[in-house]
Amino acid sequence: MNKNKSKGPQKLKILPTHLREKKRYLAFEAISQIPLNREDVISLLWDGANDLYGACGTSKLELWVLKVWKCPSTQHNIIRGIIRCKRGSLGEVRSILPTITSFHGKSVVFYTRGISGTINSAVKKFIILKGQEE
Amino acid sequence: MKMMFYDLHVHYYPGIDEDAVKMGYSGLVFVKSSEELSTADNVENSEADNAKNSKVNNTENILISSETHYSLSVFKGIEIKAKNQEDLKRKVKKFRKKAEVLLVQGGDLKINRAAVEDARVDILSNPYYGRRDSGFNHVLAREAARNNVAVEINVGYFLKNHNHRRGKILAQFRELSKLKSKYNFPLVITSGAHSVYGLRSPHDLMELAACFGMDKKTAGFALSEVPKTIIKHNQIRNQIIVSGVRFFK
Repeated sequence: MNKNKSKGPQKLKILPTHLREKKRYLAFEAISQIPLNREDVISLLWDGANDLYGACGTSKLELWVLKVWKCPSTQHNIIRGIIRCKRGSLGEVRSILPTITSFHGKSVVFYTRGISGTINSAVKKFIILKGQEE
Repeated sequence: MKMMFYDLHVHYYPGIDEDAVKMGYSGLVFVKSSEELSTADNVENSEADNAKNSKVNNTENILISSETHYSLSVFKGIEIKAKNQEDLKRKVKKFRKKAEVLLVQGGDLKINRAAVEDARVDILSNPYYGRRDSGFNHVLAREAARNNVAVEINVGYFLKNHNHRRGKILAQFRELSKLKSKYNFPLVITSGAHSVYGLRSPHDLMELAACFGMDKKTAGFALSEVPKTIIKHNQIRNQIIVSGVRFFK
Protein backbone atom coordinates (compact mmCIF):
# COMPACT_ATOMS: atom_id res chain seq x y z
CA MET A 1 0.00 0.00 0.00
CA ASN A 2 1.28 3.40 -0.88
CA LYS A 3 1.63 5.31 2.37
CA ASN A 4 3.72 8.11 0.84
CA LYS A 5 1.07 10.74 0.23
CA SER A 6 2.60 13.97 -1.04
CA LYS A 7 1.33 16.71 1.24
CA GLY A 8 2.44 19.73 -0.76
CA PRO A 9 6.16 20.73 -0.79
CA GLN A 10 8.31 17.91 0.56
CA LYS A 11 10.62 18.79 3.44
CA LEU A 12 14.17 17.48 3.64
CA LYS A 13 15.12 15.38 6.61
CA ILE A 14 17.08 17.43 9.16
CA LEU A 15 20.84 16.86 9.11
CA PRO A 16 22.45 15.01 12.02
CA THR A 17 24.18 17.24 14.55
CA HIS A 18 27.69 16.46 13.44
CA LEU A 19 26.91 17.73 9.92
CA ARG A 20 24.84 20.76 10.84
CA GLU A 21 26.40 24.22 10.59
CA LYS A 22 26.75 25.85 13.97
CA LYS A 23 24.74 29.06 14.19
CA ARG A 24 24.77 32.33 16.02
CA TYR A 25 21.89 34.76 16.56
CA LEU A 26 22.41 38.52 16.26
CA ALA A 27 19.87 40.90 17.82
CA PHE A 28 19.64 44.20 15.99
CA GLU A 29 17.64 47.40 16.15
CA ALA A 30 16.72 49.58 13.17
CA ILE A 31 15.61 53.20 13.24
CA SER A 32 13.89 54.43 10.08
CA GLN A 33 11.85 57.26 8.66
CA ILE A 34 9.18 54.96 7.24
CA PRO A 35 8.01 51.79 9.01
CA LEU A 36 9.78 48.57 8.01
CA ASN A 37 8.51 45.02 8.10
CA ARG A 38 10.29 41.69 7.86
CA GLU A 39 10.42 41.57 4.05
CA ASP A 40 11.94 45.04 3.94
CA VAL A 41 14.64 44.00 6.41
CA ILE A 42 15.36 40.87 4.38
CA SER A 43 15.82 42.83 1.16
CA LEU A 44 17.92 45.53 2.88
CA LEU A 45 20.18 42.96 4.49
CA TRP A 46 20.67 40.78 1.40
CA ASP A 47 21.27 43.79 -0.84
CA GLY A 48 23.75 45.19 1.64
CA ALA A 49 25.55 41.85 1.85
CA ASN A 50 25.68 41.53 -1.93
CA ASP A 51 27.06 45.02 -2.29
CA LEU A 52 29.76 44.56 0.33
CA TYR A 53 30.79 40.91 -0.16
CA GLY A 54 29.34 39.90 -3.51
CA ALA A 55 27.44 36.78 -4.34
CA CYS A 56 30.26 34.46 -3.24
CA GLY A 57 30.84 36.10 0.10
CA THR A 58 27.16 36.31 0.94
CA SER A 59 26.72 32.61 0.32
CA LYS A 60 29.31 31.84 2.97
CA LEU A 61 27.42 33.78 5.66
CA GLU A 62 24.19 31.70 5.59
CA LEU A 63 22.02 34.68 6.53
CA TRP A 64 18.41 34.50 7.57
CA VAL A 65 16.12 37.02 9.25
CA LEU A 66 14.07 35.18 11.84
CA LYS A 67 11.60 37.58 13.32
CA VAL A 68 11.00 41.30 13.66
CA TRP A 69 9.20 43.20 16.40
CA LYS A 70 7.89 46.73 16.39
CA CYS A 71 8.95 49.00 19.23
CA PRO A 72 6.96 51.90 20.61
CA SER A 73 8.53 55.27 19.93
CA THR A 74 7.52 58.88 19.55
CA GLN A 75 9.56 60.33 16.71
CA HIS A 76 11.04 57.49 14.65
CA ASN A 77 9.93 54.02 13.61
CA ILE A 78 11.98 51.51 15.57
CA ILE A 79 12.02 47.77 15.03
CA ARG A 80 14.08 45.04 16.64
CA GLY A 81 14.81 41.65 15.21
CA ILE A 82 17.00 38.58 15.14
CA ILE A 83 19.30 37.49 12.33
CA ARG A 84 20.76 34.03 12.09
CA CYS A 85 24.19 33.44 10.62
CA LYS A 86 27.00 30.90 10.60
CA ARG A 87 29.18 30.72 13.68
CA GLY A 88 32.43 32.00 12.15
CA SER A 89 30.83 34.74 10.05
CA LEU A 90 29.55 36.99 12.79
CA GLY A 91 32.17 39.64 12.11
CA GLU A 92 31.18 39.90 8.46
CA VAL A 93 27.47 40.08 9.20
CA ARG A 94 28.08 42.72 11.84
CA SER A 95 30.08 44.74 9.35
CA ILE A 96 27.20 44.77 6.83
CA LEU A 97 24.85 46.60 9.20
CA PRO A 98 26.67 49.97 9.21
CA THR A 99 26.67 50.08 5.39
CA ILE A 100 22.88 50.12 5.13
CA THR A 101 21.81 53.72 4.75
CA SER A 102 18.51 54.09 2.93
CA PHE A 103 15.35 52.30 1.98
CA HIS A 104 13.29 53.63 -0.96
CA GLY A 105 14.96 56.98 -0.53
CA LYS A 106 14.33 57.31 3.21
CA SER A 107 17.12 57.00 5.77
CA VAL A 108 17.54 54.00 7.99
CA VAL A 109 20.20 53.01 10.48
CA PHE A 110 20.94 49.53 11.81
CA TYR A 111 23.01 48.56 14.80
CA THR A 112 23.60 45.34 16.76
CA ARG A 113 22.24 45.05 20.23
CA GLY A 114 24.00 41.79 21.00
CA ILE A 115 24.83 38.26 19.92
CA SER A 116 23.84 34.96 21.43
CA GLY A 117 23.96 31.24 20.77
CA THR A 118 20.25 30.58 21.24
CA ILE A 119 17.13 32.40 20.15
CA ASN A 120 15.59 32.50 23.61
CA SER A 121 18.55 34.10 25.30
CA ALA A 122 18.90 36.62 22.47
CA VAL A 123 15.28 37.64 22.90
CA LYS A 124 15.50 37.76 26.65
CA LYS A 125 18.70 39.77 26.83
CA PHE A 126 18.40 42.17 23.94
CA ILE A 127 14.89 42.44 22.56
CA ILE A 128 12.50 42.61 25.43
CA LEU A 129 12.18 46.08 26.94
CA LYS A 130 12.29 46.23 30.68
CA GLY A 131 9.00 45.09 32.13
CA GLN A 132 7.24 44.80 28.78
CA GLU A 133 6.40 41.84 26.58
CA GLU A 134 5.88 42.13 22.87
CA MET B 1 37.79 46.46 31.28
CA LYS B 2 34.98 48.08 29.41
CA MET B 3 36.06 50.17 26.45
CA MET B 4 34.85 53.75 26.33
CA PHE B 5 34.11 54.91 22.79
CA TYR B 6 34.40 58.45 21.55
CA ASP B 7 33.22 59.97 18.32
CA LEU B 8 35.31 62.95 17.41
CA HIS B 9 33.29 64.35 14.51
CA VAL B 10 29.56 64.75 14.96
CA HIS B 11 27.23 67.67 14.47
CA TYR B 12 24.81 68.64 17.17
CA TYR B 13 21.10 67.91 16.86
CA PRO B 14 18.60 67.80 19.73
CA GLY B 15 18.46 64.26 21.08
CA ILE B 16 21.93 63.21 20.01
CA ASP B 17 22.93 62.41 23.56
CA GLU B 18 20.31 59.68 24.00
CA ASP B 19 20.96 58.17 20.59
CA ALA B 20 24.71 58.11 21.13
CA VAL B 21 24.43 56.52 24.56
CA LYS B 22 22.06 53.90 23.16
CA MET B 23 24.61 52.95 20.52
CA GLY B 24 27.40 52.71 23.05
CA TYR B 25 29.35 55.96 22.99
CA SER B 26 30.83 57.55 26.10
CA GLY B 27 31.87 60.84 24.59
CA LEU B 28 31.24 63.09 21.59
CA VAL B 29 32.85 66.11 20.03
CA PHE B 30 30.41 68.56 18.48
CA VAL B 31 32.12 70.08 15.49
CA LYS B 32 31.26 73.38 13.88
CA SER B 33 32.76 74.64 10.67
CA SER B 34 35.09 77.63 10.77
CA GLU B 35 32.94 79.38 8.15
CA GLU B 36 29.90 79.32 10.42
CA LEU B 37 31.89 80.76 13.26
CA SER B 38 33.47 83.59 11.28
CA THR B 39 30.06 84.91 10.31
CA ALA B 40 28.47 84.43 13.74
CA ASP B 41 28.92 87.31 16.10
CA ASN B 42 29.73 85.37 19.18
CA VAL B 43 31.18 81.89 19.32
CA GLU B 44 29.51 81.24 22.65
CA ASN B 45 25.88 81.86 21.73
CA SER B 46 24.93 78.81 19.76
CA GLU B 47 22.26 76.24 20.17
CA ALA B 48 24.69 73.48 20.91
CA ASP B 49 26.43 75.49 23.57
CA ASN B 50 23.17 76.45 25.20
CA ALA B 51 21.96 72.90 25.27
CA LYS B 52 25.29 71.77 26.56
CA ASN B 53 25.49 74.39 29.25
CA SER B 54 22.01 73.74 30.50
CA LYS B 55 22.80 70.20 31.48
CA VAL B 56 26.53 70.29 31.90
CA ASN B 57 28.85 70.60 34.82
CA ASN B 58 31.15 73.05 33.14
CA THR B 59 34.39 72.04 34.71
CA GLU B 60 34.05 68.43 33.73
CA ASN B 61 32.22 68.57 30.41
CA ILE B 62 29.81 65.83 31.27
CA LEU B 63 26.27 65.80 29.92
CA ILE B 64 23.87 63.90 32.15
CA SER B 65 20.96 62.43 30.31
CA SER B 66 18.02 62.46 32.64
CA GLU B 67 16.23 59.54 31.06
CA THR B 68 18.89 56.94 30.71
CA HIS B 69 20.98 58.04 33.69
CA TYR B 70 24.14 57.58 31.69
CA SER B 71 26.65 60.33 31.40
CA LEU B 72 28.22 61.43 28.18
CA SER B 73 31.32 63.59 27.87
CA VAL B 74 30.93 66.35 25.31
CA PHE B 75 33.53 68.64 23.83
CA LYS B 76 33.65 71.48 21.38
CA GLY B 77 35.37 71.06 18.09
CA ILE B 78 36.07 73.35 15.18
CA GLU B 79 36.74 72.26 11.63
CA ILE B 80 38.89 74.53 9.51
CA LYS B 81 38.49 74.79 5.77
CA ALA B 82 41.44 76.66 4.32
CA LYS B 83 42.31 77.70 0.78
CA ASN B 84 46.08 77.68 1.10
CA GLN B 85 48.87 77.44 3.67
CA GLU B 86 48.79 81.06 4.85
CA ASP B 87 45.03 80.92 5.27
CA LEU B 88 45.46 77.73 7.28
CA LYS B 89 48.05 79.22 9.60
CA ARG B 90 45.89 82.25 10.23
CA LYS B 91 42.85 80.15 11.01
CA VAL B 92 44.75 77.76 13.28
CA LYS B 93 46.05 80.70 15.25
CA LYS B 94 42.56 82.17 15.49
CA PHE B 95 40.64 79.07 16.46
CA ARG B 96 43.12 77.07 18.51
CA LYS B 97 42.13 78.65 21.82
CA LYS B 98 38.39 78.44 21.16
CA ALA B 99 38.19 74.75 20.36
CA GLU B 100 38.87 71.72 22.44
CA VAL B 101 39.52 69.68 19.33
CA LEU B 102 40.78 71.26 16.13
CA LEU B 103 40.17 69.55 12.81
CA VAL B 104 41.48 70.57 9.40
CA GLN B 105 39.56 69.59 6.28
CA GLY B 106 42.02 67.86 3.97
CA GLY B 107 41.87 67.01 0.29
CA ASP B 108 44.30 69.46 -1.21
CA LEU B 109 47.84 68.08 -1.07
CA LYS B 110 49.31 71.40 0.05
CA ILE B 111 46.80 71.73 2.88
CA ASN B 112 47.41 68.12 3.92
CA ARG B 113 51.13 68.85 4.11
CA ALA B 114 50.70 72.13 6.00
CA ALA B 115 48.28 70.61 8.49
CA VAL B 116 50.45 67.62 9.22
CA GLU B 117 53.51 69.79 9.84
CA ASP B 118 51.70 71.98 12.37
CA ALA B 119 51.70 70.54 15.89
CA ARG B 120 48.79 72.79 16.94
CA VAL B 121 46.42 70.81 14.72
CA ASP B 122 44.72 67.82 16.36
CA ILE B 123 43.18 65.97 13.46
CA LEU B 124 43.59 66.03 9.69
CA SER B 125 40.14 65.21 8.47
CA ASN B 126 39.55 63.33 5.19
CA PRO B 127 42.92 63.67 3.44
CA TYR B 128 41.31 61.80 0.53
CA TYR B 129 38.36 64.20 0.13
CA GLY B 130 37.51 64.65 -3.53
CA ARG B 131 40.58 62.73 -4.66
CA ARG B 132 41.15 59.52 -6.55
CA ASP B 133 44.18 58.56 -4.47
CA SER B 134 44.38 58.54 -0.73
CA GLY B 135 45.95 61.97 -0.37
CA PHE B 136 48.51 60.63 2.07
CA ASN B 137 51.97 59.21 1.51
CA HIS B 138 54.94 58.14 3.55
CA VAL B 139 56.34 61.67 3.85
CA LEU B 140 53.10 62.95 5.33
CA ALA B 141 52.88 59.87 7.54
CA ARG B 142 56.30 60.52 9.01
CA GLU B 143 55.47 64.16 9.69
CA ALA B 144 52.15 63.24 11.27
CA ALA B 145 53.82 60.77 13.58
CA ARG B 146 56.41 63.33 14.57
CA ASN B 147 53.97 66.17 15.22
CA ASN B 148 51.32 63.94 16.77
CA VAL B 149 48.63 64.90 14.28
CA ALA B 150 45.88 62.34 13.94
CA VAL B 151 44.29 61.35 10.65
CA GLU B 152 40.59 60.79 10.46
CA ILE B 153 38.79 58.02 8.63
CA ASN B 154 35.29 59.38 8.21
CA VAL B 155 32.77 56.58 7.79
CA GLY B 156 30.10 59.11 6.82
CA TYR B 157 32.07 59.85 3.64
CA PHE B 158 31.99 56.14 2.81
CA LEU B 159 28.27 55.86 3.55
CA LYS B 160 27.00 58.81 1.60
CA ASN B 161 28.60 57.58 -1.62
CA HIS B 162 26.93 55.01 -3.81
CA ASN B 163 28.22 51.54 -4.42
CA HIS B 164 30.33 52.18 -7.46
CA ARG B 165 32.41 54.65 -5.45
CA ARG B 166 32.58 52.70 -2.23
CA GLY B 167 35.17 50.26 -3.52
CA LYS B 168 37.52 53.13 -4.34
CA ILE B 169 36.94 54.69 -0.95
CA LEU B 170 37.74 51.44 0.83
CA ALA B 171 40.97 51.32 -1.15
CA GLN B 172 41.81 54.82 0.10
CA PHE B 173 41.11 53.78 3.68
CA ARG B 174 43.28 50.73 3.14
CA GLU B 175 46.20 52.94 2.10
CA LEU B 176 45.83 54.98 5.26
CA SER B 177 45.66 51.88 7.38
CA LYS B 178 48.79 50.43 5.75
CA LEU B 179 50.72 53.64 6.36
CA LYS B 180 49.53 53.70 9.94
CA SER B 181 50.90 50.25 10.62
CA LYS B 182 54.29 51.29 9.23
CA TYR B 183 54.70 54.80 10.63
CA ASN B 184 52.38 54.64 13.62
CA PHE B 185 50.71 58.05 13.50
CA PRO B 186 47.43 58.33 15.42
CA LEU B 187 44.37 57.27 13.44
CA VAL B 188 40.76 57.89 14.45
CA ILE B 189 37.52 56.58 13.04
CA THR B 190 34.52 58.89 13.16
CA SER B 191 31.03 58.99 11.80
CA GLY B 192 30.50 62.61 10.80
CA ALA B 193 26.83 62.33 11.72
CA HIS B 194 24.35 65.14 11.17
CA SER B 195 21.34 63.19 12.48
CA VAL B 196 20.56 59.89 14.13
CA TYR B 197 20.75 58.25 10.69
CA GLY B 198 24.44 59.05 10.51
CA LEU B 199 25.46 57.52 13.82
CA ARG B 200 26.92 54.01 13.79
CA SER B 201 27.55 51.68 16.66
CA PRO B 202 31.28 51.48 17.56
CA HIS B 203 31.37 47.68 17.69
CA ASP B 204 29.94 47.50 14.19
CA LEU B 205 32.54 49.97 12.95
CA MET B 206 35.26 47.82 14.47
CA GLU B 207 34.05 44.89 12.38
CA LEU B 208 33.74 47.05 9.26
CA ALA B 209 37.38 48.03 9.68
CA ALA B 210 38.31 44.50 8.62
CA CYS B 211 37.08 45.45 5.14
CA PHE B 212 39.85 47.97 4.77
CA GLY B 213 42.65 46.05 6.34
CA MET B 214 42.64 47.10 9.98
CA ASP B 215 42.63 44.42 12.62
CA LYS B 216 40.04 44.66 15.35
CA LYS B 217 42.50 45.81 17.98
CA THR B 218 43.72 48.82 16.00
CA ALA B 219 40.17 49.71 15.07
CA GLY B 220 39.12 49.51 18.71
CA PHE B 221 41.98 51.79 19.63
CA ALA B 222 41.01 54.20 16.86
CA LEU B 223 37.61 54.51 18.47
CA SER B 224 38.60 54.60 22.13
CA GLU B 225 42.20 55.19 23.16
CA VAL B 226 43.34 57.56 20.43
CA PRO B 227 40.39 59.98 20.86
CA LYS B 228 40.85 59.85 24.60
CA THR B 229 44.53 60.73 24.23
CA ILE B 230 43.73 63.64 21.92
CA ILE B 231 41.19 65.05 24.35
CA LYS B 232 43.46 64.62 27.35
CA HIS B 233 46.36 66.22 25.54
CA ASN B 234 44.24 69.26 24.78
CA GLN B 235 43.27 69.69 28.36
CA ILE B 236 46.88 70.30 29.29
CA ARG B 237 47.89 72.00 26.03
CA ASN B 238 48.06 75.45 27.50
CA GLN B 239 50.51 74.23 30.13
CA ILE B 240 52.98 72.93 27.60
CA ILE B 241 55.94 75.18 26.93
CA VAL B 242 58.01 73.01 24.60
CA SER B 243 57.60 69.38 23.67
CA GLY B 244 58.19 67.38 26.83
CA VAL B 245 58.06 70.32 29.23
CA ARG B 246 54.95 71.16 31.19
CA PHE B 247 54.29 74.06 33.50
CA PHE B 248 52.79 73.27 36.91
CA LYS B 249 51.46 76.08 39.03
